[in-house]
Amino acid sequence: MTASVSVIARAARVHGRVTGAADLEVQGFVEGEITVGGDVTVDAGAMVGASVHGRRVVVRGAVKGDLTADEAISLEEGARVVGDVRAPRVAIAPGALVRGHVDTGGGASEVASPARTPAAVARVTPAARPVAARVAPVAPPRAIVARPAPAQAPAPGAPAKDAGPRRPPPPVVPALKKARGQIAKKKER
Amino acid sequence: MASTVIGAGITIEGEITTDEDVIVAGTVRGRLSAKEGVTIEHGATVEADVVAGSLVVAGSLTGNVTAVERVDLQQGSRVIGNVKAARVTIADGAQFKGNVDMDV
Repeated sequence: MTASVSVIARAARVHGRVTGAADLEVQGFVEGEITVGGDVTVDAGAMVGASVHGRRVVVRGAVKGDLTADEAISLEEGARVVGDVRAPRVAIAPGALVRGHVDTGGGASEVASPARTPAAVARVTPAARPVAARVAPVAPPRAIVARPAPAQAPAPGAPAKDAGPRRPPPPVVPALKKARGQIAKKKER
Repeated sequence: MASTVIGAGITIEGEITTDEDVIVAGTVRGRLSAKEGVTIEHGATVEADVVAGSLVVAGSLTGNVTAVERVDLQQGSRVIGNVKAARVTIADGAQFKGNVDMDV
């Protein structure tokens, strides 16, 4: 009996909280919260309406909720994520769809995510990232992100390059549709 | 193996619903509903009402059980709650406190 690996099978629905120290594989439906110390895999065909936290998180299915990981998050082909993505290392493969804030800077996202519980913030290891990563948000170092998150540019903490210090920087509206939605999302928070 | 497995070290608080098998080696609190077989392994803790096609308990279960076919309480299991099923077996060495309803 391979009881050491936990699987929420394709036909299964879980409403509630999934916690623990082991690995978890989701093929079915989870609504609520997933917080495990091991690796989390959201398979293709899975539907997760929950915040997900694990040591490493791999997504090939659909997630509506924030993703955080102690080590790394990998959004693979077929992944659909609506929510913020935060881990020391974030990989977004071609074919993965993301709508949300991406942060590889450890504990630097308190401005972007005020709704997050303090416990979740504490779990992310701030030592993994140097402080310099926060000062220069334009170039997230060592991130394997295919498209650097455009939402980082208008972050409130970002140093305004040409504008006066008391004025807020002019709204940066990139041509990308996705980025516009992101800015709107930030404003409503 | 297509069934759902709650491994040792994993806790689910809430409701689990499935049309297939469920194997619990960890902890489940709340409600567990499966159309097929449910296995509560040795070392597992279930504090939930269980509805299943059939149920095998080798671990600890607190809650009421309704099974379509059968319930087997194996040696070393510890069950507190009412059991309703067409067939119920309680092995020698199983701890059990509750009512048994076999639709007589």
